[in-house]
Amino acid sequence: MRLARYLGYRLLLAVPVILGIIVLNFFLIHAAPGDAASVLAGESGAATPEYMALLRHKFGLDQPLSTQFAVYLLNMAHLDLGYSFRNDSPVLELILDRLGPTLLLMLTAFVVAVLLGSLLGVLAASGRNGWRDNLISLASLVAYATPGFWLGLMMIVVFAINLAWLPTSGLDTVGADNEGWDEVIDIARHLVMPATALSLFYLALYARVMRASMLEQTGMDYVTTARAKGQTERRIIFGHVLRNALLTVVTMAGVQAGNLIGGSIVVETVFGWPGIGTLAFNALQSRDLNLLLGIFFVSACLVVVVNLIVDLVYVTLDPRIEI
Amino acid sequence: MRAGFARFARNRLALFGAVVLLLVLVLVVSAPLAYPNNPFQLVGKPLQPPGGAFLLGTDTLGRDVAAGIAYGSRTSMLIGLSATLAAIGIGILVGGIAGYYRGRVELVLMRVTEFFQTIPAFVLAILIVAVLSPSVPSEIIAIAAVSWPGIARLVRGEFVALGGREFVLACAGLGASDLRIIFRHLLPNCLPPIIAVGSLLIGTAILIEAGLAFLGLGDPNVMSWGLIISAGRAVLRQAWWIATFPGIAILLTVLGVNLVGDGLGEVLNPRLRNR
Amino acid sequence: MIDRLHSSTSISRRTALALPLGLAGLSAAPRQAAAEPEPVRGGTMVMIVNPEPSTLAHYAVSAGNIPMIATQVYEGLLTYDWDQKPQPNLAKSWEVSPDGKTITFKLQTGVTFHNGAPFTSADVQYSFMEVLKKVHPTAPVVLAELIAVDTPDAETAVFRLANPAPYMMKAMAARDLPIVCKSVFEGTDPLSNPTANKPIGTGPFKFVSWERGQSLRLDRNEKYWKPGLPYLNRIVARFIPDAGTRSAAMETGEAHFAGYSAVNYADVARMKQNPILDTTTKGYEMTPALSVLELNSHHPHLDKKEVRQAIAYAIDRTFIRDNVMFGYGEPATGPLSRKFVGLYTDQVRRYDVPNRLEIANKLLDDSGLPRGADGSRFELHLEVNSFGEQWLRQAEYLKQALAQIGITVILRSEDTATWLRRAYTDYDYDISEPFLSQGIDPVVGLNRQYLSSQIRKGVTFVNNSFYANPKIDRLLGEGRTEIDPAKRTEIYHKVQQILTEDSPLIWLVDVQYVSIFNRKLHNHTTGPLGTYQAFETAWLEK
Repeated sequence: MRLARYLGYRLLLAVPVILGIIVLNFFLIHAAPGDAASVLAGESGAATPEYMALLRHKFGLDQPLSTQFAVYLLNMAHLDLGYSFRNDSPVLELILDRLGPTLLLMLTAFVVAVLLGSLLGVLAASGRNGWRDNLISLASLVAYATPGFWLGLMMIVVFAINLAWLPTSGLDTVGADNEGWDEVIDIARHLVMPATALSLFYLALYARVMRASMLEQTGMDYVTTARAKGQTERRIIFGHVLRNALLTVVTMAGVQAGNLIGGSIVVETVFGWPGIGTLAFNALQSRDLNLLLGIFFVSACLVVVVNLIVDLVYVTLDPRIEI
Repeated sequence: MRAGFARFARNRLALFGAVVLLLVLVLVVSAPLAYPNNPFQLVGKPLQPPGGAFLLGTDTLGRDVAAGIAYGSRTSMLIGLSATLAAIGIGILVGGIAGYYRGRVELVLMRVTEFFQTIPAFVLAILIVAVLSPSVPSEIIAIAAVSWPGIARLVRGEFVALGGREFVLACAGLGASDLRIIFRHLLPNCLPPIIAVGSLLIGTAILIEAGLAFLGLGDPNVMSWGLIISAGRAVLRQAWWIATFPGIAILLTVLGVNLVGDGLGEVLNPRLRNR
Repeated sequence: MIDRLHSSTSISRRTALALPLGLAGLSAAPRQAAAEPEPVRGGTMVMIVNPEPSTLAHYAVSAGNIPMIATQVYEGLLTYDWDQKPQPNLAKSWEVSPDGKTITFKLQTGVTFHNGAPFTSADVQYSFMEVLKKVHPTAPVVLAELIAVDTPDAETAVFRLANPAPYMMKAMAARDLPIVCKSVFEGTDPLSNPTANKPIGTGPFKFVSWERGQSLRLDRNEKYWKPGLPYLNRIVARFIPDAGTRSAAMETGEAHFAGYSAVNYADVARMKQNPILDTTTKGYEMTPALSVLELNSHHPHLDKKEVRQAIAYAIDRTFIRDNVMFGYGEPATGPLSRKFVGLYTDQVRRYDVPNRLEIANKLLDDSGLPRGADGSRFELHLEVNSFGEQWLRQAEYLKQALAQIGITVILRSEDTATWLRRAYTDYDYDISEPFLSQGIDPVVGLNRQYLSSQIRKGVTFVNNSFYANPKIDRLLGEGRTEIDPAKRTEIYHKVQQILTEDSPLIWLVDVQYVSIFNRKLHNHTTGPLGTYQAFETAWLEK
């Protein structure tokens, strides 16, 4: 019951943030020159002014900005994200089509980054200044400095083309129509490289944070106290230090959830992953305002949800925090 | 200060980073001396592999990749430093005001900061560059616009922590103006952590710039590493050197910046040690 | 296969003749030396389409990526053989009246749309008069003379024209003028018809599903009216945004066909080395296109003919062909593509002379535009074409090339919407580097670019250089209605000479597309429309 009330409170807090995002993006996007009608006509070769006017009228682009904004807000109030005229399809449908792959990619990258990053951080911290620590620290520093798109390109050349271990791109083998486990394995094979390219930066980051946090916690008073009480080192590490260090990583990961969406634009482009990222980039290029705003809205919601989950994880990890 | 330098120097990684960074700076300064032609000049046969007449080979149009990398270091550094300075400026302003005046101002400003942290940074950067049309200034603005919230939160935290300290109260009691307290007393005291965190931002800024250029949102009149990679991407497999060398240049530079930043952090900001 | 087609009775004689003709033409294609093996039924062909279409409303949008998919589903009244002569398709025969103003089509019988509705002359009438003429972007040119389509009976459609329109008979394939189902469109606004993305046609493949960002599936039309066809069970169109990844998909055998240079020119040489792949430049004979520079003559210097000529002299088109287009295409000599055989001429002012840089510099010196202390005469902005990486390379080259004659070029690389607005609505540009499809006839490509009546603010890819020459206006008007081929040739030769002299635009490369295909795929390029016609006879080796 208290949990439900807390959830409600948090969601209420999210409303102004999401509203702000809608407003900011609406006016930013409208500040950009050019409109969807000219892009569409441009792709079609020549078009008559009547045809362009027809398109503009159909898209509602002939209305004053304030009217367009009012209409948009009104529709949003009904959770109607509008219609993408360029794609001849409702915005919600387009986004839902792409949401699955993006969530799969992002969650995989996120989970891998947090788990593997934490693990490496623990390993590094427990062998402080030894070869293991140095190796992990150096590797994470290098990974932290590597541009994701460049890594993706290099991986395609090595693993897909030269070694032929993994498929080059896409979500699954087209036309194979696998079912059951075959399908799962097929998708997993396609997921390996994009998830690696997307997660490596964060993996490195979390390994560093985890290591630092572990070392910081080890120096805390409560550890000394626990030692004095005669608790085993094992128990101290797993019972206290690890738990508290994880809190730091989880908090950080929550803040970064939004950035994962940004990173996925580049990674999705390189790997032909049919997700929100490429959809957003194409929508921007073609001034598909409704679609772009819809994507911003959905990604803002995603970030809010992720942060909420992080909060809940936080609560379960740290019994001191009351909700 | 001397003790700080000794500690920095003891940190072998930081020293390595400083050496790398120094090399990049040499490149920045010496680019026009080593390559008097502009880096877009078509100097030889296209797609020559490295090691021949041109150290790092030529690209699809016959431009010298090494010259491109030399001039690209200027762009990366210019954008990395300017965007970071701008972000620090905004961060200090927002965080400082929030941390100094507290109350409702703080609430509003911190909400705005959180708001900017919620928006996917790279997406916002793309949007801003698209709206302003791709050029070096728009890239700087876009990167600064997505980088400042971290600094703002840091500065606010420091101000809040320092604000209660006796000497600030004493200053206020002596009738010092707000500006004087902020600039003479508070800011110098939280400069070390700002420098440490800010130096790490340079690396991120360079990476964002490369990403923008990769998507075709860089300034087409200015040679940059991201531009060379996106040009080399089309011929990645016939001419691996075009995209590979600038990629390595980015990697090394960002690595150098981060290592130095880490080292500085350890020296300047005990609380960030070990990160 | 040929035998099977001949023995089929329900196919008209002309069709039966037409198909083997197509195959005969194919024997000139690479790796066809040995006798063509017997076609195998079944299989899924994967083709790469790039970029992903935003819509499949082929009847209302003429973007170049749509017909690769749409022509599998929609059919046209005619198709064309390798000599670009009309061949029967949905129309089994036709007759043009001596005055060129009446065209009578006899239609195939027993054809049904994918929704089961029978195909009749009413569909032809509705397609042309209510859909294409109203919403197709090039209809104002191609169908300008069409007044009405009469339907004396279900198998006859009579086109009535105000004036002869010799070019119209070249546009009757599915790529240009597809036939849609009347019952699907009747009573709806064609621009928001629900089948925009779920096309219903008469073609050999039926639309099944479209996973946006990923792939689109077409299945064999079991009731296709050409007996025994198609051979393939399924066509999957794959959308891969990254060029390197597209190449890789071909090399690993994941995809079988990539048309319209979906694979970067830079990668084609390597593809040729690959034992499982081959390439062809056939199938683009009816798809002429030029890359050009548009010059804004409202700019004080670009207003001078000599300055424009100097720019034309400064550019090494062969360099662009070799290093930007990686050897594909021909350096352009004038406003018309070489693909208009007979109409094209190279007897014009040539800008590719050995001492071209001297001439260019002298022209600028004589125009009173001396070099300043830094070697620069004046500054121009160049709007970079946003439709792909290669245009940025071209712009970078142009910047260097014009620096040689003292013109400083500043590149502006913006997204599609901004670029088009600058170049065609705000006219806030000096040089723009579009890529112009020339259409089925000079009437399409030349008229919109050089007629003074085509200076139309806000319309893309029309006359934005403000070129107005009464002589050209008159000649292009005559070319429109002239039926006598010899006279037409004379008109267009004159047009090319005048335009090349005036140099309102700079013509760079006569573009040549290239298709990459897996050697297991046979009979894929069977006519001059190549990828823009159905893969009905294509088949895959097991």
